[in-house]
Amino acid sequence: MLKLQRWYKMNLGITATQYLEQVKNGSLTVEEFMAKTMERIKKVEGSIHAYISLNDDAISQAKQIDKKLKAKEKVGSCFGMPISIKDNICTKGMKTTCASKMLENFVAPYDATVVSNLKSQDAIITGKTNLDEFAMGISTEFSYFGPSRNPWNTDYVPGGSSGGSAVSVSALECIASLGSDTGGSVRNPASFCSVVGLKPTYGLVSRYGLISYANSIEQVGPIARTVEDAAFILNIVSGIDTHDNTTIDKGKTDYAKDLDAGIDGKRIGIISEMIGEGVDKQVASATSKAISKLQSLGAKCSEVSLDSIKYSVATYYTIAATEAGSNLARYDNIRYGFDFDVEGYEFNAYISKARKNFGPEVTRRMILGSFVPSAGYLGKYFLKALKVRSKIKSEIDQAFKKFDLLFAPTVPVLPFKIGEKIDDPLSLYLLDINTIVANLSGIPAISIPYEIAQGLPIGMQLFANSMQEKTLLQAAHALEKTTNLPGVPI
Amino acid sequence: MTKIGLEIHCQLTKLESKLFCSCKADYRSSETNRNICPVCIGLPGSLPLLNKKAVEKAAMIAMALGCKTPQKIAFFRKNYFYPDLPKNFQITQYNAFGPTSIGHDGKVPIEDKEIRIRRIQLEEDPGRLVYEGTSEKTQLTLVDYNRAGTPLVEIVTEPDFETPKQVRLFLNVLADLVENLGVSDPSLDGALRVDGNISIDKGNRVEIKNVGSFRDIEKALHFEITRQQSLAERGIPIPAETRHWDEARKITVSARSKEEEQDYRYFLEADIPWVLIESSVIDRLKKNMPENISSKKERYIKKYGIPLQVAEVLSSDKFYSDLFEQAHNEKNAKEIANIITTDLKGFADTKEQREQLKITPKHLSDLADAIMNNIITRNSGKLALQEIVKTGKPLSEIISSLDLGHVDDESSLSKVVDDVFNEEQQAVSEAKSNSDTINYLVGKVMQKTKGKADPALTLDIIKKKLDSQ
Amino acid sequence: MVKREEIVHAANLIKIDLEDHEKYIEQVEKILNYFDILDKASAESESFVTQEMSLDKLRDDKYVPFDENLITQLKNYKGTFVKAPKMV
Repeated sequence: MLKLQRWYKMNLGITATQYLEQVKNGSLTVEEFMAKTMERIKKVEGSIHAYISLNDDAISQAKQIDKKLKAKEKVGSCFGMPISIKDNICTKGMKTTCASKMLENFVAPYDATVVSNLKSQDAIITGKTNLDEFAMGISTEFSYFGPSRNPWNTDYVPGGSSGGSAVSVSALECIASLGSDTGGSVRNPASFCSVVGLKPTYGLVSRYGLISYANSIEQVGPIARTVEDAAFILNIVSGIDTHDNTTIDKGKTDYAKDLDAGIDGKRIGIISEMIGEGVDKQVASATSKAISKLQSLGAKCSEVSLDSIKYSVATYYTIAATEAGSNLARYDNIRYGFDFDVEGYEFNAYISKARKNFGPEVTRRMILGSFVPSAGYLGKYFLKALKVRSKIKSEIDQAFKKFDLLFAPTVPVLPFKIGEKIDDPLSLYLLDINTIVANLSGIPAISIPYEIAQGLPIGMQLFANSMQEKTLLQAAHALEKTTNLPGVPI
Repeated sequence: MTKIGLEIHCQLTKLESKLFCSCKADYRSSETNRNICPVCIGLPGSLPLLNKKAVEKAAMIAMALGCKTPQKIAFFRKNYFYPDLPKNFQITQYNAFGPTSIGHDGKVPIEDKEIRIRRIQLEEDPGRLVYEGTSEKTQLTLVDYNRAGTPLVEIVTEPDFETPKQVRLFLNVLADLVENLGVSDPSLDGALRVDGNISIDKGNRVEIKNVGSFRDIEKALHFEITRQQSLAERGIPIPAETRHWDEARKITVSARSKEEEQDYRYFLEADIPWVLIESSVIDRLKKNMPENISSKKERYIKKYGIPLQVAEVLSSDKFYSDLFEQAHNEKNAKEIANIITTDLKGFADTKEQREQLKITPKHLSDLADAIMNNIITRNSGKLALQEIVKTGKPLSEIISSLDLGHVDDESSLSKVVDDVFNEEQQAVSEAKSNSDTINYLVGKVMQKTKGKADPALTLDIIKKKLDSQ
Repeated sequence: MVKREEIVHAANLIKIDLEDHEKYIEQVEKILNYFDILDKASAESESFVTQEMSLDKLRDDKYVPFDENLITQLKNYKGTFVKAPKMV
């Protein structure tokens, strides 16, 4: 079992694997751990703001599980593990706001499949975490409820859009979290917060209950402290769901099994477009070191060029914005939303007024998303983007004929200061360039924490072919074992 | 030359559930806003789940209309804002990347024409709007989502119709067809809705919407043709526009086109994968397709010698043909067909009547056999039928309780004839020269015997008596 | 170059009121100019990436009622109807 010194330092800083061991051998009660977690949340939330809402029943739910354990009753595989959920994933009875005024008061009448899967394994939801509004963003600065802050340096962004999720795991406010990844929104904040973030193959995890932003692209993914933990969560949330026709059958695959297989002989392609120009020098240096490490573990590394990467940002944002514009059309404040009486208003006037309450990034994307598929521009932008997406997929398919895995830093830059890039939306979009290719082609990708430079985290990213999560997790686990990172300062 | 095209929406009322969720397909019996779920009201996070049977039934409609069905079908989003549209987009089909809707390029013969079907597509019905108060005073729109998500098949024809009459014939064929296929009940309010487009002499096309019933579409088209012709005669150009049918005033009125500015930005619905329809599936559906009306009609005529008129009525009404199929054997088929189309018809015109009918196939075959074996006369048969329909009692019971037994013994009949001769002396003397009057006398005998007298024997006796006088 | 009116029209289609959002028009314009990079990609022969499923894996046609009181959880619930702004 992997011993990570960093997490041992604090009593809360244990991995899921360690938590399960301790609860099962009786050295830890579920209530104890949950109480400490809640205390921790109270202590640090003021400075990092990971959560939008908390589960007030968490401790009593923890007590219930202890009771069952004492009575030797069967308990689910999570044993009361505290898990946070990004606030764009529906939780029955608790608010799901998408960090937007447009869903300020929305309480879903049902659980997302991923949530009910966790609950049926006796995980306990600690609360709903902060995000960029409707998952559109790369820094969690576009939340209606204010930004989340990087626990490694609270003047800096935690990444996004699943910023709150990554912060909650990194700052020890829960053991693991579920985020969503449309253009890098799980991997990017995982990298910025020095935790593990996995985007599964499109279709491996159910989207039922994930509030849609770009439905042909996004996936729910686990954020955790170790690769092993991420695999554990993936086992629980993955597989065919009758509520979601886009889900794929994983058969009897156990993602946590054989993690120690190693990468001896594996062919790893270093994506040349992601290691050259535009990469911060600390990131570049960390990347070289990681590549050397991979080689020392027996992998055969060589460069691979994916020419269409240069079109990937334009392709992604064209398609995602179009889908977003359509997916967010339902927010007319008539059936759900915030207080604003309809009486007396004409239909179009009411809707336009209500929709002024979207934040600036969402507003921009909806305008873009209405423009690019519109008459006269459809061929030039939207249809062209669909074709380029196909081309990107072909290039990826070609690459996987020669390689077992692909590799690149997760984000080309170090975390930046809050407010630094917020007025230049395009500059933010371009930061997605390393992660987007996995979303567009549907392949799985994972970010693992690799280094801390100037007190700021750097993550490394591995990609595998569709449905090859086992290969991916094994490689990530092998690289992770070579790291020796400090514990979170907060 | 007049050119008319149609756009028909047919609800698949016979399905159990909606197109993308498990709420009831036929919402009519539900209380307002009680036939809904997260999917059909488009709650955040909900996903559409396509109904397998809807695809199969739509494919059958496509086949019945002579259409080709592609190997893969896809769904698209039509994006616009309206209070009856919970997601503010409609999931529909759209032939953008080649033919991807459930059917295309079909044809339907009407009289001496062939109406080409451009395409057939599956889509969801929106909810229903109710307006509070008058349009000036109203401050609100009220929405009932029960209907939202109901499966619709949209059928679009080429503008091949030349007259409103052809349109009516086509629609009758279509209504019979969908009923015969068991996919829809066209008698339900709103189950079959028709919009038309019409142009005269290569002029602009005018769309006619909001037509309530089949009868009205013919009226609306007539009105519109007249309107356009009168404009043309005066040299006034006919604007291309959408007009609404005003049912109260029976005219078409220019609608302030809410759709003129519309750009629906169609794109693929990513929550629904492309559905593969293998040829084995098409074969299975074809095999299980109920026999179509014209082949039924041919079969009735050829196999049982049923006359054309009778066969037409019998084959084109599913209720009758179902009864017939279950009741008949080789021998009594013709008789049963006759009973259904002449006698039963009066008792089974409306849906309510049909629901309350107590007649069973066995009744029909018993009745037919009884008539053919001279146990009762045809006239008595009519009386018996009336009783069966009301009470459902077995025929034998009815025959004895109503005393419908066939009177065919010569001596009792002879007595009745004598009575009639006494009462109708004028007629008797006329009858010697006028054969029509003989029928009148036969009729009188039937009256006296409450229809039980054997008509042939009665005629015989009367003739003999007249001759002997 | 994309015209300002076209951006405003796109915003209207999606019911976004740009009255006091001038800066959005600028930002959208800038981003659209960036999207023009797609013109340089040669991908005309590519077909589209799609998921497929076979007919027999689709949902069975069965009626399964959801919670009767779902409607009461929506805002703007008036009696039995949902209230929406008036249509003119």
